[in-house]
Amino acid sequence: MSCHIPEKDSRTKGNNNKDTINIALAGNPNVGKSVIFNQLTGLSQTIGNWPGKTVEKKEGHLDFSGYHFNIVDLPGIYSLSTYSIEEIVSREYIVSKDVDIIINVIDSTNLERNLFFTFQLLELQIPMIIAMNQMDILRKRNIDLDFNLLQDLFKLPVLPVVAVHGTGVHQLLEKAIEMIHPPERNSYSNKNRIRSPELSQITTFGKEVENKVNLLLQSIKNSLTKGDNIIHYPPRFLGIKLLENDEEILKLLSNDAEFKEVINFANEYRKELEDYHGEDIHTILSSEIYKNINAIIEKVVKIKSHKELKKSSIADKLDHLTTHSIYGYVILVLVLIGIYMFTFTIGDFLGRLIDNSFNSWTEMIHSIFGESNFLINIFWDGALGGFFGGLAGVLVYVIPFFFVIEVLQDSGYLPRAAFLMDRMMHAIGVHGKTVITMILGFGCNVPACMGCRIMETEREKKISIALTSLVPCAAAMTVVMGLVGRYLGLGWVLVLFAINFSVILLVGRILNKVMPGKCTELIMEMHEYRVPNFNVIFKQTWMRTKGFIFKALPIIIGLGILLELLLIFNILEPINFILSPITVFWLGLPAVTGLFLLYGILRKELTLVLLSLFAANIGLTIVELLTPIQMIVFSLVTMLYVPCFATIVIIAKNSSWKYALQITFLEISLAILIGGIVHFGFLLFSGI
Amino acid sequence: MVIKVKKDKEIFPEFSILKKCLTECEKGEEVIVLNVDAGLRQKRRLANLGILPGAKIKKKKDAPFRGPLEVIVKGSSLVIGRGLASKITVQCDESCND
Repeated sequence: MSCHIPEKDSRTKGNNNKDTINIALAGNPNVGKSVIFNQLTGLSQTIGNWPGKTVEKKEGHLDFSGYHFNIVDLPGIYSLSTYSIEEIVSREYIVSKDVDIIINVIDSTNLERNLFFTFQLLELQIPMIIAMNQMDILRKRNIDLDFNLLQDLFKLPVLPVVAVHGTGVHQLLEKAIEMIHPPERNSYSNKNRIRSPELSQITTFGKEVENKVNLLLQSIKNSLTKGDNIIHYPPRFLGIKLLENDEEILKLLSNDAEFKEVINFANEYRKELEDYHGEDIHTILSSEIYKNINAIIEKVVKIKSHKELKKSSIADKLDHLTTHSIYGYVILVLVLIGIYMFTFTIGDFLGRLIDNSFNSWTEMIHSIFGESNFLINIFWDGALGGFFGGLAGVLVYVIPFFFVIEVLQDSGYLPRAAFLMDRMMHAIGVHGKTVITMILGFGCNVPACMGCRIMETEREKKISIALTSLVPCAAAMTVVMGLVGRYLGLGWVLVLFAINFSVILLVGRILNKVMPGKCTELIMEMHEYRVPNFNVIFKQTWMRTKGFIFKALPIIIGLGILLELLLIFNILEPINFILSPITVFWLGLPAVTGLFLLYGILRKELTLVLLSLFAANIGLTIVELLTPIQMIVFSLVTMLYVPCFATIVIIAKNSSWKYALQITFLEISLAILIGGIVHFGFLLFSGI
Repeated sequence: MVIKVKKDKEIFPEFSILKKCLTECEKGEEVIVLNVDAGLRQKRRLANLGILPGAKIKKKKDAPFRGPLEVIVKGSSLVIGRGLASKITVQCDESCND
C-alpha cells in the first residue's frame, strides 16, 4: 500500500529547491517523447527502475534560464487504467509531489488517439503543457491546427514542436518557467496564469454519466475531509475510476472505512448506467471521451487541401514486403542473421585489434620484468588481461548489438515480426509479442526478460520469460561464434542453433500444457516505418554501454585477478575434481572447464574468455586444448545451461524467486542432458 | 449481453443481414463496429484504443497463415489477434454498399 504514498521530502532532492522544476513527459508510445527527452537532457540521463517495479525509469537533468530541470520520461501508454504496470506507475507518479508540470507529447498527425490520453491526464489536475509534435509532417499534408483555439479550449499552453529538428523543444521549458513563476509585468501571462487545468466543458461527459460523477464527487469530497489525507488523486478522478471499477483505486479506498458508502454508490450507479446504455461502463466512458475529442478536432483542424503524400509510399512498400506471406519470413530470417553478422563482423575486427596489441604489449612487459614476476602476473596478466579480455571478448560485441537493436526498435520493424509470428507463437502458448522479447533476447537476456512485462497476463509473462531466457544471447553467441564458428565453421553454428530452438519449442509446449489458463489475444499498435533517428540511437547505445561498463567490467577484472591467484596457488584442482563426474565423464570435457562453467553463471562469455586466458597461461592455443567435439559440447552447454546471474535476478524480480530457481534448475538439467546425449552420440558415431 | 443483441435487431433490423465478424471482412473494407463480445479486460483495452460500437474501422490486411489482422482505427494501425477479432461484430459501411 505504501506505493500509493509518495515521499513528501523527495521533492527536495534537487540541489536548489526553489529553482528546481520537476517535469514529467507523458504520451502515447512512438510520439517522439524520447526524442524530446534526448534533445533536452543530452547525455545527463540515468536509466533505472521505478522503486519496486520492473518498469524502466528514465531521468535526466538540465540547467536552463537559471532553473534546474528534473525531467522524467514516463513510459509510453494509451490510457491511465490498470491494463499494464506502466499505466499504474505513471498515474501514481504524476499525482505524487515529485511532478510540478506534465508535458504531454502528442503526435499531431494522430490527434484522435493521442487526445484520449490527454483527456485522462486532464482529470489528474496537474499543471500541463501540450506539445504538438510532428507539426512539420502535418503541415506537409497541408493541414494546420488552430493553436489559439486549442489553448482556449484546453485552458492550457499548447505549443507546436518538431522534435527531430529540435524546433520548439526549449520553448516548452520557457513555458514551464512562466507557469511556475509568471513574470509580474507581463499582463498576458498573469491573466492566463495557469496552476492546474480548469476542467472546462471539454471533459464533461454526457448528461447521465456526468450526473453520476457529480453525485459521487460530493460524497467523495465529504469522505476525503473526514479521512486522513493520504490520497493524492483528485476527487473527480477517483469518482470516474470508481465508476469504472478500477482495481487499484478500489484497493486504495477500501482500506478507509469512510469510503465504504461511496464504493457502494459507485457500484449502484455503474449498474444503472450500464442498464441505461446497454453497454459496459468502459465502452460508455470511452465513447463519450471520443465524442468530446471529435468535437474538438472538428473545430481546430484546418485542412487547406487534400494532398497525397509521396513520401509514405516507400514506407508502405516496406510494410508490404516485411509482412508478406513469403518475403516477410525471408526478411525476418535475414534480419536475425544480419544482427549476428553485423555484431560479429564489427566485434571480431575490433576484438582482434585489441587482442593483438595486448599480446604485443604483454611480450614487451615480460621481456622487461621477466615472465614469472608475481606482481606482473597478478596485475598485468590477471587484472589487465581480464580487462582486455572483457573488452575484446564482450564489449566489442555488445556495443554493435545494442546499436542494431535500437535501430530495429526505432524504425518500427519489431511489431511486424510479432505480426508475422503471432500464429506460430500461439502453438507454444504465447502471442506474437513474445517474438519481440525473444529478438531482444538475442542481445541480452536481461533487458529482454525485463521486456516480458509487456505481456498482459501472468501466465504469458512466465512462459515468455522462460522462452526468452533460453534464447542464445550475444554473450552465449560470442562463445559459440568464437569457438565453434571460428574453428569449425558456420555449419556447426547452425546445428547448435537448431538444437537450441528445438529446446525452446519443447519447453514452450510443455509449459503451455502445465500452466493453467489459456493464451490471450494480441492487441498491439503498429506504427508506420520511419527513418531511425540516429541521434537518439547513438545516445541510447551509449547509455546501455555505459551501464554495461560500470556493472560488468569490474566483475570481469576482479575475476581475472582471482583466476590468476587460483592458478598461482593451484586451487583449481579441488573444484574441478568435484564437478568432474559431470564435466569429464558425462560431457567429455577437460576437468578445468568445470570452473569456467561456474564463472559463466556470472556472465556467459566468461567461459570463453577464461578458457582463452587459461590456454594462454599454460602456453597452449584453444585448438590444442579442446577437440572439435569438446568445442561443440562446451558451446552447447554454455548456450543452454543457465540464464546468467543477472537474468536470474531479473526473472526473480519479474515473477518470483521460486520461478527463477525453477527455470535455472530446468535449464541446467536440459543442458547436461542434451550435452551428454551429443557427447555420447558423437562417441557412438565415431565408434562405428 | 442478451439485451444488446435484441436491441440491435429491433432498432436496426436491416443490419442483421449485413452483420459479420471482423475476420470475415475483405482487405481494404471499411466497416462500422456493432459489438465487441470479449472479456472485460480486453474490451476496456479495445475501447480505450477506439474500437467501440459505432466506430469506423478499415481492415488493412491479414497476417499470413490465418494470423492476426491489421485494422486502421482512429487514424492508426492496430494489430488484433484473430481469436479476438472474431468476437468483434461489424456492419458494412454505406460507402462499400455501392
